[in-house]
Amino acid sequence: MVCRLRLRHARLPLLLCISAAMAWAQDLSGIEIHGFATQGVLYSTHNNYLTMQTSSGSLQWTHGAISVTDSVTDNLRVGIQLHMYQLGQLGGPNIMVDWASGDYRFNDQFGIRAGKVKTVLGLFNDSQDVDSIFLWSLLPECAYPADNESFFLSHLGGDAYGEIPLGKRAGRLDYDGYVGQVTLDLNGGYVKQLSDAGIVFTSAPGGKTYGGDLRWRPPLAGLTAGASIDVEAIDGTGPLARLHVAPFQITAEYARFRRGKWDLAGEYDRGPFTDALNSPQGTLFLPFDVRSWYAMASYRISRKLQVGSYYGHYVNKALDTSLPQNFSKDWAVSGRYDFNSYFYAKLEDHFLHGTGLGYYTSTNPNGLQPNSNILAAKIGFSF
Amino acid sequence: MRLGKRKATRKRWLIPLLGLITGCGAARAQDVIFVANVGVQISTIKASDLHAIFTGEKTRLADGTHVVPVILKGGPVHEVFLKNYCGESPNEFRAQWQKAVFTGQGSMPRAFESEAAVIDYVAQTPGAVGYVSRLSPHDGVKALTALK
Repeated sequence: MVCRLRLRHARLPLLLCISAAMAWAQDLSGIEIHGFATQGVLYSTHNNYLTMQTSSGSLQWTHGAISVTDSVTDNLRVGIQLHMYQLGQLGGPNIMVDWASGDYRFNDQFGIRAGKVKTVLGLFNDSQDVDSIFLWSLLPECAYPADNESFFLSHLGGDAYGEIPLGKRAGRLDYDGYVGQVTLDLNGGYVKQLSDAGIVFTSAPGGKTYGGDLRWRPPLAGLTAGASIDVEAIDGTGPLARLHVAPFQITAEYARFRRGKWDLAGEYDRGPFTDALNSPQGTLFLPFDVRSWYAMASYRISRKLQVGSYYGHYVNKALDTSLPQNFSKDWAVSGRYDFNSYFYAKLEDHFLHGTGLGYYTSTNPNGLQPNSNILAAKIGFSF
Repeated sequence: MRLGKRKATRKRWLIPLLGLITGCGAARAQDVIFVANVGVQISTIKASDLHAIFTGEKTRLADGTHVVPVILKGGPVHEVFLKNYCGESPNEFRAQWQKAVFTGQGSMPRAFESEAAVIDYVAQTPGAVGYVSRLSPHDGVKALTALK
């Protein structure tokens, strides 16, 4: 039964590839159709990672998306992207709206975007689910948790964006400000962690969000530096408990430098907040003062081959940081091979110390080892 | 005997000379020329603006015209363009556009297999700007001078 289920998941990207190939290069008077699909496998030496049975190898790691965009006028563009993912027990066969928006760009200095819009936060938040653009199979979990990407990925609301020219010597400043509503994915990691603790939600908790991003692009080609802020609040009611997270802010400062065959990037994120769980037994407070950073470097050896490495560091300063469950240190070494413009393969090894991220009690009923190595392999297709 | 020696000396000169001539030709062939729809008012364009237009960061020309970037799907002319004006490899260029498309922030530029198709599309599309080999015929479109 398990095998049959896994095969079914493995077939999904194949079906997406076939339908994508049929739709490829469609040009219906300005309508663009693009898509991607990936299938991955994870194997870990200890512990089960990201709700999968990774200690025996798991294929339950599938992503697929298809986007349709139409440039209605020179200034107005509308589009929608449908997305599905399966990451162990997270996600599922349901197709979700990844983004669906109307975008009116008055000029290069000012535009507005409304609908379900990807959230610009840090270097890669809005693109973290677009596997085809990255060398990495898994982005640093400390900043872009694969098991919770759907929560931060987008908001229902509106953005104002544009660029501010700063002159010949200073380059330009790109800005994006937004306000809207976010909801926790009922099939995502946060809700799964709460359900492992016996707190079940039947309707998605969520709340208001607002924030912005300023990105400086100096005249030095390839350099980007910026900062983001995101303010969120979460409320939800389940049959047994009520969740309340007062408005809290996440900040990110980052820089990236791309020159020739090199690509260097780094980011520091901070997010202090407290979960309050109210139940008939009383109120339980879960404090967090999340501080995380990563540094990554990659090098393109040839047109088809790229290699790189990153270090990701997470710590919850609100708790005892000497305990493995309150930190996570991740060294990753990665390689990517592009067969052609459409197909690629990735291989990545992670050396994980600490269990603060990516582990679930339901898939690790006998407890966790503090260290684990994880091997990730992926094949992908995009058009 | 002396005649044979002279012939050999000539050959020694001839080989580098031929190499120089063909090398110059190849270098010229590898340069690109930017072409625009005849309705576009400008005749010069800054290299930094070309970079911004072909990476989707800029949507208007200096004269205020909405710009429609047009690219080649691949080949040596496309690679020379990417190297000289975008500073990117084909993979990086593709990834940058994929990011825009899959995050809902942009649409892929129109891409064509041949330079003739680029010229045809640019000639028929208001605001279109593309590139072709300097040696390629470009009737019906306006050549833009790229300022470094």
